[in-house]
Amino acid sequence: MKLRSKLSSLSLQVKISSIYILTNLLVMGVNIVLMLGINNISNRLDMVYQDNLHLNELSDSLTAVQDNMTDYLSSKTSDSLEDYYRSEQDYRRMLEDLNEEITGLSFDRMERNIRYMSEDYLEEVNYTIEAKRGRNVEKYRVHYEEAAQMYEYINTYIANLNTEKFRTNSEQYNLLLQKFRLFEGAAMLSMVLVMASNVCIIISLVGASLRPLKKLAGSADEVAKGNFGVELLPVESKDEIGVVTGAFNSMVVSIGKYIERLRESMEAERALKERELMMEAHLKDARLKYLQAQINPHFLFNTLNAGAQLAMMEGADRTYEYVQKVAQFYRYNMKKSEETVTIADEIEMVDYYVYILNVRFGGDIHYEKKIDPALLTVEMPGMILQPIVENCINHGIREMGSEGRICLSVYRVEHAVCISVKDNGVGMSRETIDQVMRGAYREEGKAAGSNGIGMDNVISRMKLFTKNEEVMAIFSEGEGMGTEVFLYLEDGTEEKQEQTDDV
Amino acid sequence: MWTTLLTALCVILTVAMAVYVIWFYQSGLVEETEREVYDKYYVLITEDSKSAFWQSVYEGACERALEENAYVDWLGEQFFEKYSVEELMRIATASAVDGIIVTANENEGLTELIDQAAAAGIPVVTLYGDNTKSARCSFVGVGSYNLGREYGRQVLAIISDRRQEAAKVQEAQDAVLEGRAAAGAAGRDGSAQPVRVAVLVNAYAQDMDQNILCSGIQETIEQEFGAESGIELSLLSVDDTNAFSVEESIRDIFMEQETPDIIICLNELTTTCVYQAVVDYNKVGEVSILGYYDSDTIINAIDRNVIYATVAIDTRQMGAFCIDALQEYHELGYTSQYFTADVRLIRKENVTEYLQKGEGDDETAQ
Repeated sequence: MKLRSKLSSLSLQVKISSIYILTNLLVMGVNIVLMLGINNISNRLDMVYQDNLHLNELSDSLTAVQDNMTDYLSSKTSDSLEDYYRSEQDYRRMLEDLNEEITGLSFDRMERNIRYMSEDYLEEVNYTIEAKRGRNVEKYRVHYEEAAQMYEYINTYIANLNTEKFRTNSEQYNLLLQKFRLFEGAAMLSMVLVMASNVCIIISLVGASLRPLKKLAGSADEVAKGNFGVELLPVESKDEIGVVTGAFNSMVVSIGKYIERLRESMEAERALKERELMMEAHLKDARLKYLQAQINPHFLFNTLNAGAQLAMMEGADRTYEYVQKVAQFYRYNMKKSEETVTIADEIEMVDYYVYILNVRFGGDIHYEKKIDPALLTVEMPGMILQPIVENCINHGIREMGSEGRICLSVYRVEHAVCISVKDNGVGMSRETIDQVMRGAYREEGKAAGSNGIGMDNVISRMKLFTKNEEVMAIFSEGEGMGTEVFLYLEDGTEEKQEQTDDV
Repeated sequence: MWTTLLTALCVILTVAMAVYVIWFYQSGLVEETEREVYDKYYVLITEDSKSAFWQSVYEGACERALEENAYVDWLGEQFFEKYSVEELMRIATASAVDGIIVTANENEGLTELIDQAAAAGIPVVTLYGDNTKSARCSFVGVGSYNLGREYGRQVLAIISDRRQEAAKVQEAQDAVLEGRAAAGAAGRDGSAQPVRVAVLVNAYAQDMDQNILCSGIQETIEQEFGAESGIELSLLSVDDTNAFSVEESIRDIFMEQETPDIIICLNELTTTCVYQAVVDYNKVGEVSILGYYDSDTIINAIDRNVIYATVAIDTRQMGAFCIDALQEYHELGYTSQYFTADVRLIRKENVTEYLQKGEGDDETAQ
């Protein structure tokens, strides 16, 4: 495992170089071994007939001794004597190399015999020379005969040994030659095997080194085709391929994340646009309904204003006030219905509306307000409270016949602002509440005095404004027990407060 | 996967190849004989190196020598030229060997050479033939007198066999020719014909042993029949001066008018030659041969009833005795003067034993 991790930490260049160096070393090693082998055999082949050469030299040297002695005996010159001593010295030196031991090998024994006989011979030759120098004719002739005889024997011995050795050496030579041929075959086979090994090693090791690269190429191809969901590649090594694989992996991950983010933001933008479009549509709807209900409001304002002025001039203050408020109510209706307003504006609107109704119907609606003054500046969509109060009066109180009560409260609930409109009218059944909340409730014909904005429109606009589904709740304890409508708004004052605090 | 397998295979093969190459070096290119060193070096010098007799002697000597950590060379075997015993003696002496075993005779030249060797400190053992006048340290032989007595006994046995056979024939003839008494008497006179016994001796060897052997035969016969035995014992000279003369001499004997009834041969070569001559001249049954040595040819001839009997000398023992004598001389400075090898008689009755043994030997030799 250690080795594997070490190997995987090598760079690609080192890896591939190592493979080539390794295989080359292998080839070189095998070549060296084979060359040494061939060298060894050729050396041996050279040495085979060395013995024969030595024996020939020995024989020549022996002949030189004999010749020089004969020369001296016949001429008695100092030159020939000198030659004799030199040749004798040579021959003695050569004898030193001959084997002296008694062994199981016949060559060795023959060498030993030649050596001893030669010593005997040299002694005899010496006697001959000495006798000749001493002019002892009788003696030197006898010694000469002995020496000549011995010379004959030794020569025969050497010739025999030489022939025997030549025979065995020839056999050895043949044997060596056979082995050499065998070795040649083995060498060829070795080279082929090493070649094959090298090819396999290179293929497998290079393949193993480049396998991650292939995988990487496959994955890159997939990515290029647009498939970002490719499996992440395992980083097997720490070489260049490993680095590239790691980078590729993080790239694929990054691209995935980026695409995800892009899609989310596009989604959000689309939702925003949709909301805006819907809000506009509802507003238009509301305004259309309003315009359907009102006939030329500007003319009405002017008319009403003219009536108010007339009443003032006539000193009819109550009439003046009434006409004035009616005019205010319609102006507000005209002006504010298309924009965001404050709770105070809405409450003012409800005030006008209740005043007008009380004048119309002889003051039988008791209108009560419990307002947290801090919340008056909270923003909300226009034309919300008036339709709700209108519904309370039309469906709750008017049908009751007795004294009706409307209670408008604005208070804080946790982080939200709650606007409650409570009446003591006929109440609502659970089914009706559900239908209203779902926007499925349809009134049969518009009641007189309605400005034509239905509850479903109110709910839709509230939802769009607050971006929240829980914008309204209707609560009724049952028939004759009254109804309470709750509106929930975000507490804009708090946010503003926070923003100012932040600043 | 397959590349891994292939790589593994190649690597294994390469390793195998490497092992082979290493083995190739280790094993050595040429088998070298183990070079054993010996303490002593002896030489055996014989006249004849081809015969199974001397081969066996040499083997016996070698065997014993190896036990004693010595080595025996059969001198002359390695030369292409044929040297005489005297020349070989000279070579051996000059080679300063540790001992010489030589088949001697009473030749004076040889005596001188043996003395020279002894003077150079080389002990000489005479083998088979002695040189009594020389300074040889020991003689290893076969006990010629006993051998002669054995031959004599065999001669008697042959004669008794023949007489019995003749008597049977006579009886048969008598039965057929009943009433012709005169003729029968004449026939009995005819059976008193002398039996001719010839001993083949080497012509030029002035060998005491041959004489001792002959007197052994003579004495045995005389003991049985007295001086007037009707057996004529004669010595026939065989010319052994050159390589082929022995065979020629033996043929000459058979060319003569009267061939001997019994021929006693005193060496392996003459035995083989006589055997062949008897077969060639169609004298089987007429001439009884007493042979020498137990070569395969001779044993087979006994089995076929051509040779009556042969004496088998324990040749290996002879060779061993030579080495013993030399070793003893080197150790003690002296040794026994005589060693006598065992002699066994091989006849038709016990020849199967030797036949089997011979075959067995061949098998082991193979």
